[in-house]
Amino acid sequence: PAPAEAGRAPGPPDGGWGWVVVFGAFLSIGFAYAFPKGLAIFFKEIQDFFGTSYSEVAWVSSIMLATTYGAGPISSILVNRYGSRPVVMFGGLLCGVGMISAAFCTSILQLYICVGFITGFGLALNLQPSVIIIGKYFLKRRPIANGLAMAGSPVMLCTLAPLNQFLFDNFGWRGSFLILGAILLNCCVAGALFRPIGASTSLVKTQVREEGKDALKGKITEDGPMENKTEEEGEKDCFEKVNQYLDFSLFKHRGFLIYLIGNVLMFLGFFAPIVFLAPYAKHTGIDEYSAAFLLSILAIVDMVARPTTGIVANSRWVRPRIQYFFSFAIAFNGACHLLCPLASSYTGLIVYSSFFGLAFGMVCAMLFETLMDLVGAARFTSAVGLVTIAECCTILLGPPIGGILIDTFGDYKYMFIKCGAVMVLAGTFLFIMNYYNYRMLAKEEKERKTKEEDPKSVRTENEGKKNWNKDSTQDGPELEPLREKGEGLKKEINGT
Amino acid sequence: AGFIKSPLSQKRLTQDSVELYCEAIGNPIPEIQWWFEGNDPNETYAQLWDGARQDRVKINATYNLHSTSTISIANLTGDDSGMYECRASNDPDRNHLSKSPKVKWIRSQANVFVIERPEITTEVTPGSGKVTLSCNISGPHPTITGHKWIHKEKVLEEDSKSGASTSYVIEGTVEEHSGIYECVFEANPQIRGEVNISVAPQVTAYKKSEHGNEGDTGVLTCKNPSFPAVTTWSWHKSGQGRLDNASGRYIIKSSGNKTELRILKLDIEQDTGDYFCNATNSFGTGDATVNLRVRSRLAALWPFLGIVAEVLVLVTIIFIYEKRRKPDEVPDDDDGGSAPLKSNATNHKDKNVRQRNAN
Repeated sequence: PAPAEAGRAPGPPDGGWGWVVVFGAFLSIGFAYAFPKGLAIFFKEIQDFFGTSYSEVAWVSSIMLATTYGAGPISSILVNRYGSRPVVMFGGLLCGVGMISAAFCTSILQLYICVGFITGFGLALNLQPSVIIIGKYFLKRRPIANGLAMAGSPVMLCTLAPLNQFLFDNFGWRGSFLILGAILLNCCVAGALFRPIGASTSLVKTQVREEGKDALKGKITEDGPMENKTEEEGEKDCFEKVNQYLDFSLFKHRGFLIYLIGNVLMFLGFFAPIVFLAPYAKHTGIDEYSAAFLLSILAIVDMVARPTTGIVANSRWVRPRIQYFFSFAIAFNGACHLLCPLASSYTGLIVYSSFFGLAFGMVCAMLFETLMDLVGAARFTSAVGLVTIAECCTILLGPPIGGILIDTFGDYKYMFIKCGAVMVLAGTFLFIMNYYNYRMLAKEEKERKTKEEDPKSVRTENEGKKNWNKDSTQDGPELEPLREKGEGLKKEINGT
Repeated sequence: AGFIKSPLSQKRLTQDSVELYCEAIGNPIPEIQWWFEGNDPNETYAQLWDGARQDRVKINATYNLHSTSTISIANLTGDDSGMYECRASNDPDRNHLSKSPKVKWIRSQANVFVIERPEITTEVTPGSGKVTLSCNISGPHPTITGHKWIHKEKVLEEDSKSGASTSYVIEGTVEEHSGIYECVFEANPQIRGEVNISVAPQVTAYKKSEHGNEGDTGVLTCKNPSFPAVTTWSWHKSGQGRLDNASGRYIIKSSGNKTELRILKLDIEQDTGDYFCNATNSFGTGDATVNLRVRSRLAALWPFLGIVAEVLVLVTIIFIYEKRRKPDEVPDDDDGGSAPLKSNATNHKDKNVRQRNAN
């Protein structure tokens, strides 16, 4: 019964059903990211139908995007409470209901609510749990899993765009919304695939809370300390209650803060170039179809870049220093934007689009992987919620700021320079801070080693070190199960 | 009083218009008048007023910090040639009939030459795959220093030759390049001629096939981008003759280059089919066909139900498969995420795990 027990063993399975989960996450993430962009095809018709201006219709997309990111913490709380599967299925149901009711809307305000809020909230309930459950199913091959799952976004975008056009031509916008609602219900199918896993993770959480209290009692196998813990819980229940649903102690976590600041800064310049690529191409005199083709090139390169980055990030040389790779990807992205104004011919723009697609894919593939790497799978649930709501503001601000720059100066190059500069800055910041973080982690690891004289733990820690590098101690929570669970299990792991 | 700006002498062609500008300063603010002396030897200066010469003269004066006055004369003739004088004075007695003013009117002169407009013969010559436009000045003309061809306010071609004729070649057919073209002879004054490529209406449908939903309003549009503009539009339906606003369900809005047919409360049986839009102008007629398809309200319902059924089937299959594989893990729903309150419960589970493993 080794395989069955392997599923119950304290390490994530790293395969098997995990790949099916990756496929489900692929669908879920793809819908969450691609759906708001794909709706743009209907805007002209809706604008004519309700007699509003283009910006009023564009608000639908913005509200949807804002809700998807802003509802992150709620998503995290729900996943903490109920697990990934129910949340995703409920999210899929919500999306479907939102779009179906949108098909019967009679005013633009109702569209804001149905498409913007309800569907946006449903997508938020899709996005977070999908990312979270990958962390539960994979450890060794997690970057590949992340890369594959994130590839869902460009693939979905490439399928949704022509599909939306086809639906619109044949059924009009109301019919299309009805059918899109049904398609979104497929997120429930993806959710059904998210088979719950890992009793170990709840044990791990208690370890994490101890770490959060800066206690270096690394291994707790007895019930005693735990019962003490529950007593303490009874005392300060208000703060703890909030904390158990959404781990605010993350704000004391050095790696988390670094990631948060770096990413919030990066998103200021992340999406604006995509939004303005086609208008910029038209501005330099290129016709509409070629301009649209640039975006297609971007999407195709992106599609290939994400799994490839996952594989590269999983390799022996990069995995321990994945934070550096991530900072490099961001800085590379920034460099592309800074060089863009030099490309004025069509071939120059094609080259720019390809490199941009590559850089974009690299960053996206590792976006959640690096966060998991920093805070560990257990706290990732809360971390991702807190990060998305912080990113929400800068994501929404990025394109309008770019638009203001373009309008004031009448030239697109300032927008590209601003985006490039912001991203290079973010990349350098992350690089330096992560170097500092790795050094601090190495120090803490040394301290921990000298404090623990138990030879067994030393042996397992050495074993752990053989596989991972020093930074994985901040992954600590993930490897705790390897150390903690009593001799029988330890023998098993050593045996495998 | 003194002049800040004096009017400038100019050359013009007949039927053109001319503008003279004058500015004076003084304390108190001087008044500006315009006087004209023709080329006849007997003529003396006569004052011009706003509306003179059969309303061809317009005078616009402002008296703020200083005085300004602009005189414009439209549709010039040979008799408009002569000396135009801008006179200014701020003497309070300046217009008194009996008293002679102590301070005279200060004057500034400008000469306006009106030259007979030379005749320009224009020609449009369609050829093998190209169209040649030409302009030819016949009769006396001032010295020419260059040529220009202009279309839709954009300069197509220019040169610095001094010939009395110029031509421009367009690749394509007259139908593709209809419109108003201007040939310009650079000289003093500038001579412009107009060459028009006129064709019958080149009507195209906005969209060859349109869709509408039952009960909604359907819009069919035809446009005519060619020159000259359409004088009459009409809509026909196969088997129904002409459509017009009177029938109540149709609303037709037309302009020189576009026409729109709106059909209210679309009906699947009645309104599906081909519609013809017909355009007429002084050079001929043209038409286009638009096909209208009316979708039933329930058209989108079948794919919708199909997909919902597919989703339900898949979800059921997944859950059944899962129950079959691990029947003892069915109640295992409390992996939760990482809620520590469950630590006691999971502790027991871990004990169970350990026990089982020991077994």
